[in-house]
Amino acid sequence: MEAEPPLVRVSGLTKRYPGRGGRRAPAVEALAGIDLTLTRGSDLALVGQSGSGKSTLARCLARLEEPTSGQIWFDGTDLLSLRGRRLLPFRERIQLILQDSATALDPRLRAAEIVSEPLEVLGRGDRRERRRRALELMETVGLPAAWAERRPLELSGGQRQRLAIARALAVKPQLLILDEAFAGLDASIQAQIASLLRDLQGRHGLTYLYVSHDLVLMGLLADEVAIMFEGRIVEQGAVARIFTDPRHPHTRALLAAVPSRPTPAAPPPP
Amino acid sequence: MHGLLLLAGVSLLSFVLVELAPGDYFAEMRLDPRISEATVHALRARYGLDRPLPERYGRWLASLAKGELGYSFAYGQPVGPLLWPRLRNTLLLTVTATALAWLLAVPLGTWWATRRRGPADAALTGLTAMLLALPDLVLVLGLLLLAVRTGWFPTGGMVSLGHEQMPWGARVKDVAFHLVLPVAALVLGIVPALVRYVRASVADALGAPFVRAARAHGIPERRVLFRHALPAAANPLVSLFGLSLAGLLSMSLLVEVVMSWPGLGPLFLEAILARDFHLVLGPVLASTFLLLGGNLLADLLLAATDPRIRTEER
Amino acid sequence: MSARVGRVAALALLAAVHLAALGAGFLAPYAPTAQNRTLPYAPPAPLRFVDAEGVFHLRPFVYAVTEQGSVTGAYAEDRRRAYPVRFLVPGAPYRFAGLPGHVHLFGVDEPARIFLLGADGFGRDQLSRLLHGAQISLFAGLMATVLSLGVGWLLGTVSGFYGRGVDAVIMRSAELFLALPWLYLLFAVRAMLPLSIPPARAFLLLVLVIGLVDWARPARLVRGVVLTARERSYVLAARGFGASDLYLIRRHISPQTAGLLLTQAALLVPQYILAEVTLSFLGLGVSEPVPSWGNMLADLQHYHVLASYWWMWAPGLALVPVILAYYALSEALSTR
Repeated sequence: MEAEPPLVRVSGLTKRYPGRGGRRAPAVEALAGIDLTLTRGSDLALVGQSGSGKSTLARCLARLEEPTSGQIWFDGTDLLSLRGRRLLPFRERIQLILQDSATALDPRLRAAEIVSEPLEVLGRGDRRERRRRALELMETVGLPAAWAERRPLELSGGQRQRLAIARALAVKPQLLILDEAFAGLDASIQAQIASLLRDLQGRHGLTYLYVSHDLVLMGLLADEVAIMFEGRIVEQGAVARIFTDPRHPHTRALLAAVPSRPTPAAPPPP
Repeated sequence: MHGLLLLAGVSLLSFVLVELAPGDYFAEMRLDPRISEATVHALRARYGLDRPLPERYGRWLASLAKGELGYSFAYGQPVGPLLWPRLRNTLLLTVTATALAWLLAVPLGTWWATRRRGPADAALTGLTAMLLALPDLVLVLGLLLLAVRTGWFPTGGMVSLGHEQMPWGARVKDVAFHLVLPVAALVLGIVPALVRYVRASVADALGAPFVRAARAHGIPERRVLFRHALPAAANPLVSLFGLSLAGLLSMSLLVEVVMSWPGLGPLFLEAILARDFHLVLGPVLASTFLLLGGNLLADLLLAATDPRIRTEER
Repeated sequence: MSARVGRVAALALLAAVHLAALGAGFLAPYAPTAQNRTLPYAPPAPLRFVDAEGVFHLRPFVYAVTEQGSVTGAYAEDRRRAYPVRFLVPGAPYRFAGLPGHVHLFGVDEPARIFLLGADGFGRDQLSRLLHGAQISLFAGLMATVLSLGVGWLLGTVSGFYGRGVDAVIMRSAELFLALPWLYLLFAVRAMLPLSIPPARAFLLLVLVIGLVDWARPARLVRGVVLTARERSYVLAARGFGASDLYLIRRHISPQTAGLLLTQAALLVPQYILAEVTLSFLGLGVSEPVPSWGNMLADLQHYHVLASYWWMWAPGLALVPVILAYYALSEALSTR
């Protein structure tokens, strides 16, 4: 390991929501003390059932939700101490890609407008430059420039997900958080997107944080897996180790729930 | 509880609005050269109009608690006793009209729901659309014209001359006779929307899976309608009852003024024109009270007709 | 298909009516305040083509009328002289779009008058008053709608977008405004303004009162749309690359409220036109001598006018197609 600090270091992160139904209802603890480190160029998968807090963690990292306590260090900077304008440069460096593009893309905008939106928000270049860059980015993710005028609903799920990736790349991020980005796609489309992501990682030196409920799929994509359960990371390790030697009972439960595991990385234990 | 808070809010809001108005009853007096500036000043002081706003609101609340609702300068007496008979008359008018409107709308709307795509359907659609587009004002004036032309009904007021001398039975008949025109105006004003709504909810209920299932079981159409569809349609209708009251009260204001029915409406207008502020507040509060009362009634009815709400509330 | 036809027909009718109101100065033969004391309640003059000698004229003409005896409203035609209808005649000055004008679409030679819709109690031409009154009544409705939807949109957006305390305050006040029967509230607010004010200010005040009293309903509806729009993933994504609140509202949230606002507008305009008519009818709105459809109808409160002079109903009858067209439009918009 080099002396350079890790890209992301999270320590003691908690998030509580006020309870539903009256003031005296107990608070819901979505994150109960998370410690996590992401090194540059790695891919980590956060795996857990719905309600385990994995999406909350993703949103806290992208600074879309305010954690209750704890710290997030990004490239040596205390992210939670930054607000408003001073946060902006970091917003560019962390991008979030969300589940199903049908709602993640404004249905009224055209493909090129969607991709150039981040540039517009940040005031980069003029209209023509932004458009040129948008077409470039579409090519990068494998969408023909001829589709620039299509609206999201005229595209397939996989194509929409490519569009979402192109939009995230517009600001040249270092960390890409993919929250259930593969849900609802066919297996063959999943494979195409996965190879696109791997290709981009090589070219742009990206770090990926996958968030998913699908342990098998994550086993194929990531190097390392962190299992989340009730707001905590209960187990973390290399993919092969998690599949062959699950230590936490919840990890074993997740593995047992997989109907048949065609995982090349880990043959099922008897 | 929520209703009480709302009522308190409305009282404060309307009090502030009305008190902020430029000029008051005595300001008009200043224009009269026979009344000296000093007299006006003394009068204002006597009725506490020179006091700061919070104090005036406090005084008004105290008088509200006594049932006086402040003091009318134009009548030279507390507002309460002026208001109660007017409120009673407005209630008589609106309750009669509501009852009649629902008695008309429910059977007609139900019948309409069972006659889809026929001459009756088209005729009712056209008729209700016409009535909906007819401004209330034109409707009221039209009925008045009918009364003036034919002389079938009295053209205004609530009682005939010599009402006081009539025997009890004749008096009731007299009032009922005077009720015909304003009630007709209100009923014609609100029935079209009601009928359309009843038809929609009954049609909805008739298309519901459990009703179609009942029909598939061979249960006779009549029994399907009355035993299954109508109870299911009752719920939205009761909610509508609460909502329709606001419109009814608004229209009643117009009807009362044009047909000189001695309800809240004419008193209200008169008070506005005379700048008699406490008398303006009276009808505002009374109408809010009526509306809230009606909504409460609707909620109670809903609880009574819908078993699901009863269990939810525990 | 039929919905489309209905929409086009409704729009065409509304466009025609509003254009006629705008061009009232040119279309109306007389000034709306011009009195003819010798012609109270003169009946509508029929356009004639055949004169007393039975000769046919291509150019229509009217006869002058004079009041008979002491009974108001009994008129006799003077058939000795025909007054042909002339087009583009000079007459009373008016302003159109800020420009002064004095040419009227049609008219007849003095001393005859052409009262196509009769005259009111001061001998003023009903048609001229109807056209000029439309300016007041129709545009009061439009302007009040813009105002009420504007305020409702702003408060509803702020309420839905920011939530929490702001939301609670705005929604509680909305409940307060909705707790009162609408007309009562309108009257109560009108009561706080001075009674007799010059017509131009009265018009603006009316628009303000009508528009501001009714912000609560649109605000609630807009809030609902904003609440769901705010939760869309693409709003979150835009936040993720640093979009400001203003940008989010402008680019992603407001466009979603457009459909709702349009449908609401078609519902509210006729309601506000009627509100102006009602207030002016009861003497709380625009006052004489400036005509509005409401104060023109006020004459009908006298039973002899109500029963004897049917042409005094003109503003009431003119309201029906206008309202019908707006309803048709709102129905077409909501079933789109």
